[in-house]
Amino acid sequence: MTISTPAPNPARFIRADGPDKVTGSGRYTADLTLTGMLAAKFKYAGIAHGRITRLDTTAAKAIPGVFAVLTQADVPNVRFGGFVQDRTLFADGVVRFEAEIVAAVAAVDAATAQRAVDAIVVEYEPLPVVNDPEAALTADAPLVHTDWASYGASGALVRERNDASFSSIAKGDVDRGMAEAAVVVRSRYDADGCHAAPIEPRAIVAQWEGDKVTIWTTTQVPYDARAGVCETLELPANRVRIIVPHLGGGFGGKCGFHFEAHIAALAKAARRPVRLLFSRREEFLAPDKRRESICYDFETGVSSDGRIVARRVTMVLDNGAYTADAGFFSQLGAMHALGPYRIPNLLAEAHLAYTNHQPSGSVRAPTAPQTCWALESHTDEVARAIGMDPVAFRQLNAVDTGAEGPSGQTYGEIGVQECIERAARMAGYGQQLPGDEAIGVAIGWWPSFAVPSGAYVKIDGDGSAQIITGAQECGTGSVMTLPQLAADELGMSAADFQLVYQDTSVAPYDMGATGSQTLFNNGRAVIAAAAQIAEQLRALAADHLEADPADIVLANGQAFVAGTPDRAVPIATLAGIAAGGELLIGHGSGMPPGPPPISGSTCVGDAGVAAWVAPQFSCHAVRVKLDRDTGVARIMHVAAAHDSGTIINPLGAEGQVQGGVLMGIGQALTEGTSYDNEAHQRNAGLLDYKLQTCADAPPMDIHFVQINTPNAGPHGAKGLAEAPNVATAAAIANAIAQLVGAPVRQLPMTAERVWDALQEVAQNTIGGAA
Amino acid sequence: MSFTIARTVEDALAAIAAGARPIAGGTDLVVGARHGKAALPADLVAIDRIAGLDEITVGAGNGGVTLGANVSHHAIEHHPVLAGSYSALADGSALVGSPATRHVGTIGGNVMNASPAMDTGAGLVVLGAEVELRSVHGTRRVPIGELWSGPGRTIAQPDELCVAVHLPQPAPNSGSAYLRLEYRRAMEIAVVGAAANITLAADGTVAAVRVALSAVGPTIVSVTGLDTLVGSVDDVADAVAAAASEQATPISDVRASDRYRRHTVGVMARRAVVAAARRAAGETIAIPVNRTLGIGAAS
Ligand SMILES: Cc1cc2nc3c(=O)[nH]c(=O)nc-3n(C[C@H](O)[C@H](O)[C@H](O)COP(=O)(O)OP(=O)(O)OC[C@H]3O[C@@H](n4cnc5c(N)ncnc54)[C@H](O)[C@@H]3O)c2cc1C
Repeated sequence: MTISTPAPNPARFIRADGPDKVTGSGRYTADLTLTGMLAAKFKYAGIAHGRITRLDTTAAKAIPGVFAVLTQADVPNVRFGGFVQDRTLFADGVVRFEAEIVAAVAAVDAATAQRAVDAIVVEYEPLPVVNDPEAALTADAPLVHTDWASYGASGALVRERNDASFSSIAKGDVDRGMAEAAVVVRSRYDADGCHAAPIEPRAIVAQWEGDKVTIWTTTQVPYDARAGVCETLELPANRVRIIVPHLGGGFGGKCGFHFEAHIAALAKAARRPVRLLFSRREEFLAPDKRRESICYDFETGVSSDGRIVARRVTMVLDNGAYTADAGFFSQLGAMHALGPYRIPNLLAEAHLAYTNHQPSGSVRAPTAPQTCWALESHTDEVARAIGMDPVAFRQLNAVDTGAEGPSGQTYGEIGVQECIERAARMAGYGQQLPGDEAIGVAIGWWPSFAVPSGAYVKIDGDGSAQIITGAQECGTGSVMTLPQLAADELGMSAADFQLVYQDTSVAPYDMGATGSQTLFNNGRAVIAAAAQIAEQLRALAADHLEADPADIVLANGQAFVAGTPDRAVPIATLAGIAAGGELLIGHGSGMPPGPPPISGSTCVGDAGVAAWVAPQFSCHAVRVKLDRDTGVARIMHVAAAHDSGTIINPLGAEGQVQGGVLMGIGQALTEGTSYDNEAHQRNAGLLDYKLQTCADAPPMDIHFVQINTPNAGPHGAKGLAEAPNVATAAAIANAIAQLVGAPVRQLPMTAERVWDALQEVAQNTIGGAA
Repeated sequence: MSFTIARTVEDALAAIAAGARPIAGGTDLVVGARHGKAALPADLVAIDRIAGLDEITVGAGNGGVTLGANVSHHAIEHHPVLAGSYSALADGSALVGSPATRHVGTIGGNVMNASPAMDTGAGLVVLGAEVELRSVHGTRRVPIGELWSGPGRTIAQPDELCVAVHLPQPAPNSGSAYLRLEYRRAMEIAVVGAAANITLAADGTVAAVRVALSAVGPTIVSVTGLDTLVGSVDDVADAVAAAASEQATPISDVRASDRYRRHTVGVMARRAVVAAARRAAGETIAIPVNRTLGIGAAS
């Protein structure tokens, strides 16, 4: 265990890529044009489930200006998928969701490509549509994948028919716990799926030179995208180069491997560069990343003094038609359904059900916001059932330093209790409010992900430095924090470092802008790389100043002898000396911390996410005003307290919390995918899928609980990109429930659903009185 | 395919007579085409640079106000006479889209686009507006309520250009307001909306009331049966709310069910009556009333 020191230089700095982005000088993938470039378009299934009985591309190929038309017959016969190999690049005989790609076209311009797409003849024998995840798990449900049993899959997954990943966590004796409880509360909750909805729709450009392909793409995970291209087109990694220009947001939606291989295959067949530009509608329908819908049945038993003695929860997650990266969602969802509470007896069971919907995948804190919403709504019901204040109930039952969590992990120093206290105080919890306002409180948690990562650092002869990193910037600003870490290590200033990043052929591996992992892991790598140079500089300075290398201090752009600051030499001078001899080049990775031990629990379908390195905690307290005549809820104020370890750049960190909270408000009130009976999305566009706007942003108070976290990232930092998105919807729900007089059991809690709940309460009151 | 830029109304009328469609701000026409609602017309004539068509003339006709067809929502929102005496219109214009939409979108485009969810329509109806339609053959004036014949349809001939919207002088001791139900505070489309125009008697009771509704039928719905309605503001508001819910013929779609729309249009109508009555009594409620009172507070 390492207890780290606080960051030497907590600084509020503006991210280096900010000016480019706000002035429009930054270049995005869609801005690229290559000589001879063609436009790509996809032919989509248009129906949710069917067997292809005829697929004829003859007429499309005959259209002048069409250079290539591809189907599954034209690419290697590879079934891929990180957890279950259940997918092919193009439909392989059966289409399983409305935006499944049947064929792809490259043509001189987009209009010609679209004409060719329209000229492709496809006929289907309709198959029964699986539109409801719970129904998908019944014994007589039609199978989404009739060949599921023969697919390759990760050995950890427990699969059965439409259940792509079953996971359970058990501890103690849940039946006995329930039997001994003073009060048992049961609740049902249903959360709709929703979207990442980044402002930049997907774009991909592919160009071959000989047997090597360069792909410019809007991905959060360049190495993952490369791996997908290599696997599906059967290429070695060193012949595929992924470059990401500026990325216009991702929110998880641009994680995974998407359409890079389709465009590379088109470019190869057409012998020309090819560009794909998604419309907003395609952005909603086609990617295998949207937030999964989940339904929950909770049962919690409490003792008469308000302690949770048992919890049972069953949940069904919508996998959609293909498993994408959702294989671990059942276990992660189960952790969130149990929550950061001390529970001696428990059983959580989670199923990941195939349906004929768009595939689910990592969207900012996958499974967490909706599960926190359900669990924390249920928690308020439990507190109320035994007559306890919801905040006091959480203070009594939440985990704490040294306590054991639901999966049997005993926590080192954590700040959840301080988060509760801080958020309640910032919100003015307990104050007298007008009759149409209430404050709801919820707690959330999220793991840090410790994974391998690499970076180089070099200082050139003039003393200017570069960080060459595999890390990817998706808008969080975490890559922008790396110069600060290198600067601290080398006694230089962050402005001395330029970043070279987002190019798989230039930098070493990094997992990408996913799992809030960039600062945690790539920060470690950059510090390790800088440390190598620091050692070189100390040796050079010792030589120059005739001192012992161990006595050399690097600070303020200088190397000096400890205790005698006037015996100094500028680092730039040392860099000049090095330029004539051994160059200043550092490379770093560092060992990621291993998973903490867990004991006393049994995990079936263990995807490795029951033991959390450096867990992050949060508490949000939200004041809501409700228009009872219409059900419209307005967010008046948000208080957010976060334990994400040490904060390196408070300005960037606050931005993350503000964005996460606003996204959480959208999930709470307006963002949800609606399906029709044929499993078509009814609101695949920004007109009817309502994101929150700046005009909706409420005032926020943000506090960071900074404690000495064991096994954390650089200087004790954890992660922060996903955590702020976890507890907001839950806190809003608990305020709305107070104002309505009952919980709203569906997410999003749209005005109409709130109004329906109000009507129901009114009817029950009248019914009860009669 | 052609795109011409008209410098005068006559240029525009000639182009339209030859089969071109007018385009003003393009915020309905172009955005709708991108959404696949209807393909862009093959021939377009831009009318946004016609001199004088963006003027607001106060004291026109019998002391009313005339808006050129190209007057922007932004101009309406910030015009002191419109905000003060034709508040229901200014309330509506101030809600359109975002600042960018309000600078580009025009009153002529809004009324001629004939969406039942348009935000100026209900206000124009209760204010007794007329549109002036002109073609190479002549000019006619149409009461605004008779302009719309269905969703996206008007009674205007293909060769007619809307050149102006005329507003009569408001009655003494009158005030108006437009409210809409919205799920967010910008870039929104009315779930339902209601405008009211109230004239108060000397004793503060309601002497006359006009109410119109948006997004609850194929066109803006003018609520009928209110001619003899008088009484306290509260009683009138109750009666209007009931009539609005009853006369609405809303649809169910992904935004709301017909049940919910029918209920909430009554709520909006009630609040519009109350806000209009407060304005009629001399109170200043800043434009737009939606934001000033808060959707939750205007009960
Ligand atoms: C993001 C966004 C948000 C919006 N929000 C709202 C909203 O909140 N409320 C609302 O009501 N609307 C809204 N709109 C719709 C639109 O902005 C308004 O209806 C606007 O007033 C249209 O004016 P325009 O000048 O842009 O019309 P255009 O698009 O130029 O024209 C619309 C139609 O009217 C015809 N036309 C235009 N001028 C004339 C004329 N003088 N004579 C005859 N025909 C004419 C055109 O041929 C076309 O058929 C929104 C639009 C966008 C893009």
